[in-house]
Amino acid sequence: MAHMNEVRSSLLGHSHKLLGRANVVAAGAGYKVTGGKRTQELSLVCSVARKLPLASLAAEDRVPKEIEGVPTDVIETGVIRALATRTERRRPAPGGVSIGHRDITAGTLGCLVKKNGQVMILSNNHVLANSNDAQTGDPILQPGPIDGGKLPADLIAELLQFVPINFGDPPPPSDCKFASGMIALLNAGCRVIGSRTRYSIHRLQATDNLVDAAIARPLNAADVSDDILEIGRIAGQGRGELGMPLQKSGRTTGFTQGEITQVAVTVDVSYGPGRTARFTDQLMAGAMSQGGDSGSAVLDGDRRLVGLLFAGSDNSTIINRIEHVFSALGLSL
Amino acid sequence: MKRWFAAIVLCLAAGSLLANGDQMPLTIEQVKAAHERELMARPGVVSVGIGRDDQGRPAIVVGLDKANAQTQAALPQVLEGYAVRTEIVGTVRAR
Repeated sequence: MAHMNEVRSSLLGHSHKLLGRANVVAAGAGYKVTGGKRTQELSLVCSVARKLPLASLAAEDRVPKEIEGVPTDVIETGVIRALATRTERRRPAPGGVSIGHRDITAGTLGCLVKKNGQVMILSNNHVLANSNDAQTGDPILQPGPIDGGKLPADLIAELLQFVPINFGDPPPPSDCKFASGMIALLNAGCRVIGSRTRYSIHRLQATDNLVDAAIARPLNAADVSDDILEIGRIAGQGRGELGMPLQKSGRTTGFTQGEITQVAVTVDVSYGPGRTARFTDQLMAGAMSQGGDSGSAVLDGDRRLVGLLFAGSDNSTIINRIEHVFSALGLSL
Repeated sequence: MKRWFAAIVLCLAAGSLLANGDQMPLTIEQVKAAHERELMARPGVVSVGIGRDDQGRPAIVVGLDKANAQTQAALPQVLEGYAVRTEIVGTVRAR
């Protein structure tokens, strides 16, 4: 029986010639398989795109029974392709790959959702709607523009709806003199009677946000897939709780896992120089994302959808609660 | 007019005293909600949320963009019975 060293040296000398034969796509060292069973015999394994009857092959394309005393084995592996990366064009496009509005860099295709029974792509406003600077019907590219996505070849969907992000400073204290007077009196009254309750007033201003979310309508249902790369299909909807294990699949950092470290988070998020938006009732997890992962669907350990990733810092990831996303856009799974 | 005004004020103050009398303990969510605007207004604070302290008990977690001795020293350690903890979160950016 041939030893590994002999098989190796035989490979070195002959792999080029083997790969030159029509149909051979790989050559390596491995145990010979006979009748579907692995034997103890080392062999030169030739992988072919398709096994063909010997008679249909030209003599120079046939793999000999043995080479320099080392037996050969022929197995069918199909054509071997490089695994398509997350930043490449994918059809059908699963969750976890690059996507973006025509005028942005790129974010992540989160997952598929339904609106009025129709299948939609879910991601962030700042991925699909250019942070409010977009119109219904705008082209959505897969991959996103920074990953080489171009019109018209990579057009996958059109923007259908987004939740506008309210930018701006947090509301200033009230400047209403009547209200200030009332409050001063109330607090004075509280002090007099020994209560430790104090009242305060703020001008009502709609600056707080719950979600950074948008949906796009695929132009062709066959161009999208309900699979999420390295996770699989969503098993249902869940509710994020402190300490819950999380998983996500994103354009930049791929499959990562984490845990909810804070709930009910109010956080100021930067959208570029001088542009900040305040979000309330967010989930926080540790470092499980980078730029480009925005829009990733966030699932719990049982593959239930709990959130939509949209922001983060060096050591945190900020996630919209999926229940807020669904109610803001009228969505379901 | 002024008398009415004073009466309303007294009623409200008395109401809050009575409410305090047989008060249910406030939940951490209520305490956080009552204080977050003031906490968020402090220099360097980027987030306020509910997490856990070193012993695993619920705590109000104040996130800072970077170490900030002044803000850290000025923050209360406890708010209405709940621990307050700081964490360097860093600047939070849309991704």
